[in-house]
Amino acid sequence: MKKTRIFSFLLFIIMLITWEFVVQVKGISKIILPAPTTIAANLFQHFQSGYFYPHIIATAFEVFGGFFIGAILGIGLGFLVAQSKTTQEILQPYIIASQAMPKLALAPLLVLWFGFGYTPKIIIVALVCFFPLFESTVTGLSHVSREKLALFQSLKATRFQTLRKLRLPTAMPFIFSGLRVAVVLSVVGAVISEFIGANKGLGALIIASQGMLDTTLMFSVFILLTVIGILLYQLINWVEALFFKKYSYSREK
Amino acid sequence: MTIIACQDVSLQFKGDQTPVLDHIDLQVQKGEFVSIIGKSGSGKTTLLQMIGGLLNPTKGDITVLGNVITEPLTEITYVFQRPVLLEWRTVLENVLMPIELKKRPNQEDRNKAKEVLALVGLADHTNKYPHELSGGMMSRVTLARAFMTEPEILLMDEPFSSLDAMTKEQLQLELMKLTDQFSSTTIFITHDITEAAYLSDRVVLLGEQPARVVKEFQMPFSRLRPKKLKYDPSFIKVVKELYDSIDGLGGSSS
Repeated sequence: MKKTRIFSFLLFIIMLITWEFVVQVKGISKIILPAPTTIAANLFQHFQSGYFYPHIIATAFEVFGGFFIGAILGIGLGFLVAQSKTTQEILQPYIIASQAMPKLALAPLLVLWFGFGYTPKIIIVALVCFFPLFESTVTGLSHVSREKLALFQSLKATRFQTLRKLRLPTAMPFIFSGLRVAVVLSVVGAVISEFIGANKGLGALIIASQGMLDTTLMFSVFILLTVIGILLYQLINWVEALFFKKYSYSREK
Repeated sequence: MTIIACQDVSLQFKGDQTPVLDHIDLQVQKGEFVSIIGKSGSGKTTLLQMIGGLLNPTKGDITVLGNVITEPLTEITYVFQRPVLLEWRTVLENVLMPIELKKRPNQEDRNKAKEVLALVGLADHTNKYPHELSGGMMSRVTLARAFMTEPEILLMDEPFSSLDAMTKEQLQLELMKLTDQFSSTTIFITHDITEAAYLSDRVVLLGEQPARVVKEFQMPFSRLRPKKLKYDPSFIKVVKELYDSIDGLGGSSS
C-alpha cells in the first residue's frame, strides 16, 4: 500500500517535470500553455492578494446549497417512491427521462427565470445532485434479500420497523456512493451555471480569464476546482468511515 | 395435546396445473420433535412456510395453538435454511433483534442474550460481526436468536444442511439440549435421514406428486440421545427402514 503511494507521487513529479521541460525548451507561449512553475507562482500570488477568496466562497456557497437541497430531495423522494412497487412503476418512465435530460442545458432557461443571482445556480446544482441520489436510494432500499424480508415477516415486524432496521441499513452504502457521485457533479454544475452568467465564482473567473487571455489564471482555477472536488469527495468518505462503517461491510472484503 | 394440526391442507400456486401439496394431514403434540423428510422439490419447505404463516393454503386449515393460521404467530419461531443474519449488527445485536421489534432491550435482555449465546458456545464472540464468523458459528447465532424468545414452537428448514459433518453433529447435540431445556415443540425439515432419526420423536415422510404424508415413523428412543447412538444396531435398523421407504418412492433420492 505504502509503496504504491510512493509510486503515484513519483509519477506526478515526473509528469510535472516533463511538462515544465517541454514548455521551457520549446519556448511555448504562456497564452497557449503556461509552465507548472508559472501556474504555481500565479496561484501563490492570487492567494496572497486575496483575489481568489470571494470566488471560492461564491462557488462553495452554490455547491453546498445545491448539494444539500438536492440530497434532501433525492433521498427523501427515493424513500417515498421505494415504498410501493406501484408508484415505482408509474414513475419509472419519468425517472428515466429526467435522467437522460441534460440538466446543464437548463441553465440558460433558469437564468431567464431567476436572473443572475445565486438562485439559478443553486437550482442547477440541486438538479444535478438529485438524480444520482434518488436512484441510489431507490436501488438501495429495494436491494434487500428475500431471505431477510422473510425473517422480518416471521418476526412480525411492522412496515416501519422493516424500513428502519432492514431496508435503511441495506441502502446505506448505496446512498453513500450516490453522495460521492453527486458531490463531484455538484462542482461541475456550479461552474457551468456560472459560465452562463455570473460575476463571482470560479466559473465566472474562467470566463474572465478567457477574455483577458490569461491562460495561467485559467489553469490556477482548474487546479482549485480539482482540489475542491477531491476534498468534497474525501469528506463524504470520512463521514462514511466515521459514522457508517459497519453498513459497508461488503466493500471492505 | 395436539398443538399443530393440518387438516386436508392443499396448496396450488397461481398458474400451476397441479397442486404442490394435496390432502396433507398432520398432527403435532406439545413438546414433540417431528422431522419431515422427503426428496428435494417434495414441498417440505412449502409445508413448513404454511405452518409458519408465511404462506396460506389454498384449501384446508392449519390450526396452531387453537388459532387458524393466516399470518405468523408470536409463539412460532422460524429458522431458515441459510443463516440469515444482519451484517451490520454484532452477534449480540443480531440475537436481540426479535426483542427489539417488540420493545427497547434492557440489561436483563442483554444478559439473557449472552446466556443463550453461551449455551451455543459463542460466549467469546458476542461482539463480532457476521463476516468474522465461520458457517457453523453463523448457524449457532441463528439458533441463539431462535431460542432468545423461548419459542413454544420452532420451525426449522434444513438449518444444518450447509455445514460440514462435524459441525453438524455438534449443532445437533446443542439443538437437542436446547429444545429440551426450553421444551419447544419442533418441526424440523431435513434430507439427511440419519439426522432425522437421531433428533426426532417422529419422522414424517412426504412424497409423491402432489406431495402428501406417505408414512410416519415413531422413533423408539428416549430424548437426549448420546452421540454414539448413531452406531447402535437398533438405530441403524431404523435408519435403514427409513431409507428403504424413501427409496421405494422411486426416482433419485436426494
